[in-house]
Amino acid sequence: MTNKFRSIRIAACIMGTLIAAPVLAGSAAESISVNDPFVRIVPPGMTNTGAFMVLKNADAKDHKLVKAESSASKVTELHTHTNEGGVMKMRPVKDIEIKANGEAVLKPGSLHVMMIGLKQELKEGDNVTVTLTFEDGSSKKVEVPARKIQTEMKMEMKPGMMHDHKNMH
Amino acid sequence: MKKITIGIMVALALLLFWVLLMRQPAGEHGQPGPAETRGGDFTLRSTNGPVALHDLKGKVVLLYFGYTFCPDICPTSLGFTSQALAALDKTELDKVQMLFVTVDPARDTLEKLKSYTAYFHPGIIGLSGTPEEIAKVAKLYGVDYAKQNTGSAGGYVVDHSAYTYVIAPDGSLFKSLDHGTPPAQVIEAIHAAMKKS
Repeated sequence: MTNKFRSIRIAACIMGTLIAAPVLAGSAAESISVNDPFVRIVPPGMTNTGAFMVLKNADAKDHKLVKAESSASKVTELHTHTNEGGVMKMRPVKDIEIKANGEAVLKPGSLHVMMIGLKQELKEGDNVTVTLTFEDGSSKKVEVPARKIQTEMKMEMKPGMMHDHKNMH
Repeated sequence: MKKITIGIMVALALLLFWVLLMRQPAGEHGQPGPAETRGGDFTLRSTNGPVALHDLKGKVVLLYFGYTFCPDICPTSLGFTSQALAALDKTELDKVQMLFVTVDPARDTLEKLKSYTAYFHPGIIGLSGTPEEIAKVAKLYGVDYAKQNTGSAGGYVVDHSAYTYVIAPDGSLFKSLDHGTPPAQVIEAIHAAMKKS
């Protein structure tokens, strides 16, 4: 490698650090944006549901979602599903990692915010407030709209999304 | 003398019965068999009384094992299947029966199963039985399920196979659909199973 190239690389590194620095200074909550949140409306009489969303991390370092809370349910936990030979296993998780400049996708059949003991039945048009807390103690309030499973699926069936679905199999 | 003859005959009959019982190959008691030998008749209970698979002959039966506390997997499976049912016309729908068998009979009452399944499609029948009866049906279809205490405040969860079993009108297992099979493919499988009769 020539000296010229090396100096360009060093310069690029310094530039990169300078650009990233202001972002690094912010809290996890400031670096993470929440996209397309929804909470699933469950059949009458059922009191457990899942809230789903995409967490995007604009930061140059990894962050972790460590807690979710909501006044809409007695208990709120972070859960995931694993598929072991066709057997679906739901388990609580300690945290959900959101990689640097990456995202964590909370979706049906996978990671989700588990809401246990809903205090009232959810209807279309309702919103629940979920507070997300990150590893540095910073937190973020998210307004999560309630969605019927049928509506949820229609949205999932949108062209372009179908492609993703096929890849799952 | 007559008494002794009867005694011998009874003893012989018992012996024959015992031999027949023991003749079952030992291998049948372990793991479920390969896919092609899975399936079989069963009877479980619904809010409207017993439901037997043989009573549904002539219909395509969609069989799913789950539980109502399941907030995610079961609703997704039932949601997709009910969309498929909703897309069938009346004559086709008359030839299809969806069954939801609970793997959590301790918490799922028949009434709870009914309101749960009706939310997805009014035609779905929720079924339960004793833990032994359910275990027997699950084994027939190769369904694995196990209660797990995960430390969640929501109480125990039940790990379970999330396939939808498509049973042909003759009562034989036609196909297993993976979790999350889109409605279009569920409809395709229903039509293919109908042709099998």
